[in-house]
Amino acid sequence: MLVTKHLAELCSLLIEELYGELPSRIFATLINRGRSSIPQLVHHTSMNPRQLRHGLAVLLQYNMLFYSAEPDTEVAVYEANVEYAYNLIRTGKILEMIDTSFGAPAKDVMQSLLLLGQARISDLVEAYQQKIDQAKKAATEKVEDGDEFEVNGVNGHSDSVKKSDLLVKNTAQLNSVICRLVEADLIDVVHSRSFQTPQDIHKSVEKDVTERLFPGGPKGGKAKVELQDKIAESLRKIRSESKSLKRKLEQNVTSAKRRKLFSGGTSNGAHDEEVDPDLDSRQVIRINYEKCLVDLRNRRLVQFATDMYGEVTAYVYGVLLRLLTKPIARCRPDPLMDIGEDDKDRQKLGFVTIDEILDSLKTSVDLSLGLGKVAKHDISSRAADAIQEEPPKPKLYIEEADVDEGDSADEAKDSDGSNSSGSDSESDHKERPATNGSKVQFADSTSAKEMRLNRPAQLRQHLLLLSESNQHFVRHCGPNEWTVDFVPLMSALREFELDSVIERTSGRQGLRLVRILRTKGKLDEKALPTVALMKKPEVQQKMLEMQNAGFVHVQEVPRDTKADVKKSFFLWFSDVDKSLARLLDTSYKTTVRCIQVLEVLRQREKDVLELTKRTDVRGREKDVMRKEYFDRYSRFLENERKLFAQVMRLDDLVAVLRDF
Amino acid sequence: MDSEIVLDGKPSELFPPYDVPQAPALSKKEEKQVSFFLLFREQCHDGPLYTQARTQNGGRSGRTYGQDQINKRYGQTSKATVDPFFAVPTYSQKFKQVERTLPDLDTRPFAKEFFPSELHATLDGDDSPTSGPANKRRKTGPKVLALSNITSLKTAEELFLPESQQSGLDATVSYDKALQVLNALEKRNEDGDDEGFLSGEDDDDWVKAANEDDEAEANVEDEDQYDDESGDDYNAEAYFEGNQDDEDYDEGGDDGGGGDYM
Repeated sequence: MLVTKHLAELCSLLIEELYGELPSRIFATLINRGRSSIPQLVHHTSMNPRQLRHGLAVLLQYNMLFYSAEPDTEVAVYEANVEYAYNLIRTGKILEMIDTSFGAPAKDVMQSLLLLGQARISDLVEAYQQKIDQAKKAATEKVEDGDEFEVNGVNGHSDSVKKSDLLVKNTAQLNSVICRLVEADLIDVVHSRSFQTPQDIHKSVEKDVTERLFPGGPKGGKAKVELQDKIAESLRKIRSESKSLKRKLEQNVTSAKRRKLFSGGTSNGAHDEEVDPDLDSRQVIRINYEKCLVDLRNRRLVQFATDMYGEVTAYVYGVLLRLLTKPIARCRPDPLMDIGEDDKDRQKLGFVTIDEILDSLKTSVDLSLGLGKVAKHDISSRAADAIQEEPPKPKLYIEEADVDEGDSADEAKDSDGSNSSGSDSESDHKERPATNGSKVQFADSTSAKEMRLNRPAQLRQHLLLLSESNQHFVRHCGPNEWTVDFVPLMSALREFELDSVIERTSGRQGLRLVRILRTKGKLDEKALPTVALMKKPEVQQKMLEMQNAGFVHVQEVPRDTKADVKKSFFLWFSDVDKSLARLLDTSYKTTVRCIQVLEVLRQREKDVLELTKRTDVRGREKDVMRKEYFDRYSRFLENERKLFAQVMRLDDLVAVLRDF
Repeated sequence: MDSEIVLDGKPSELFPPYDVPQAPALSKKEEKQVSFFLLFREQCHDGPLYTQARTQNGGRSGRTYGQDQINKRYGQTSKATVDPFFAVPTYSQKFKQVERTLPDLDTRPFAKEFFPSELHATLDGDDSPTSGPANKRRKTGPKVLALSNITSLKTAEELFLPESQQSGLDATVSYDKALQVLNALEKRNEDGDDEGFLSGEDDDDWVKAANEDDEAEANVEDEDQYDDESGDDYNAEAYFEGNQDDEDYDEGGDDGGGGDYM
């Protein structure tokens, strides 16, 4: 991850927001100075060693640092873990995701885990046990207090436990929740190398492999490739250490299943929760952000599909993505580790069949909704059912074949022109979409006929709809096999986000100009107004505006060696990657500003906030505080919520641009 | 006619009306996400690893050039900079949160094998300024991880809700309870076995505080306050809270202990 100035600032602000000033100061210094030891930090921050030790311990507990210690000198050097620090911003989202897909108890456990940073399973269990005991005690006390003498009545007791809304009722439930989260890969095991930087690990592995297999250094190209493969392999091995719990669970589940099969299944069916084996309580666990990001990406894609096609199709898509991404560990393969694995990885991604989707689809969902109907003769069934076995090739930057078409309104649609032109079976691929004239009906007169269409066929229609989109939501990769190519899809989504930002900041005219530039490549300043059919001053103004914002770029080409400015060509062009990088940094900056605004608000309402922190005021602000104070306080709370919502929206953008 | 002439004293518009883009209202999902985040933050702040103390004076306005200037921004508020007018101890200061300048590491267990060895003493809590042989902490029993007791977040809407009746009732109830606690305390003090009263629950009360209800929580916190009071009763230096920070202050360093009275 490229750490820009704004990202560095953002990370330290986030840490300050959540963990206090002391860790944040240390973290900021670590980002700015690179890896340093405590004496170096003392020098840079002018804090005393005791403060530093405490701050570093807190940061390490929250997984915000890497360190490496020399075994003989006992001096460690620390380095900032920017990824984990940034992911603090996503806490709300991750918790919400777990809440909706795993239920409230799982969310509670995950929240505790996040709160503790990393935790030994036995400690976690003990903490929950204590809380449960307390709740029970409190409940009985409450019953006694209320002069209700039904303490010995079991019903009253359990009711009051429920009343105190304890989400995790007993340790067995805790165990099963942890098991489920581990199975979903959302929880990782901390192992001895978790706190080494990836670079360090790579270096040591490289050294190790070279010494072991190529004592004299690799000779020749073939040996070098082999060396890379070996390194990647041992790196993967180290990485998979954090999955040890998951592996064990999987083994257990399979053996349990086998047992079930042998014993006939009837007896075990009722005790489904007890199948969860006891986890090794010495293991230390923490959250696995990589997998969380995969799930968040699924949600984002579903959102995207909802915007494009509507809810039912998006729901189908969500189910498909969930099935498909179960084995995926991370959104973007690691360039160092996943080189040799490439083919294997693709196999792993695999495909989903319609039956599988149908199995996990809720029956309450009416699949007939959200499908348009077109007269039969308007559909090229050959094209619609075409199977694309290969993932689409990366899009060429300039599509020469399409230049003449240039009506700019449907430029985006031509994005698949270059890759589908290769195979002739897909040449009439685009006849189907509803936009080209044929009548599409949603409210159907032929509902009787519709009813006869069974669910698989409707599901297939939804999938076909998704596969025919310009964004390539899914790919029909074999008969009844569907898959998703994330790389082109995400780049389509990125471009979509960029376009919407351009439209917001410089209007439709600006977006149109950018799209023209994208199809034409570089255009001379003088040629642009004629192509765009706009007035020259308007175009110039727009272009300058957009250049300032970083959406278009200009290149100066002198006509002769003198490089006279008046005679040179000025070529406008639009580089998507450059714009995206700029947009990313701008989003960091905006996020930083949001948090700074919050700090300013806090300063402004300092007296009120200090009052609300008092222990006799907390929890009953309304009664204790004077009305004007209370109004100020509630206004502040509202603003705070708005600011954090804005921060999370910005993070949505950052996630699409950087992580997904 | 002349008198009716009104001078148009308005200057030309330096800042013409600008259409400030408004963010759309929060969706339900976003509301939930923000609430979860805020709750998480609240719990973080409630935990033993959080350091409340801020040593910056005002906002972080202005540019800084170089590490020295950045460092100078910190350590602005310390005991040396306290406003003498507010430095006089007042009754309401009892209710102020005790600000931590260093995280409270010895209240919870750590997975020490994942920390470099130079931090191990710190994790044991042997590194804090109070942990001299003189005031050795009374640590009994194994350390236990603490789960936060804050389970709900007060949102602005909740605060707005006209539940005055209910909360009024609650307030009186908790007031009564506080009185009871106070009475009990006094009795015990007279008996002179405050040690016994204290032994079970020391400062990691947030670990053990049981109830989720606000009133109960307030209760516990009150109790906490009184505990501290009575425990340090004979220590004149410590009578006004925050004696721990004194030593820290003496240690020097920019961050001269947390302003207890800021």
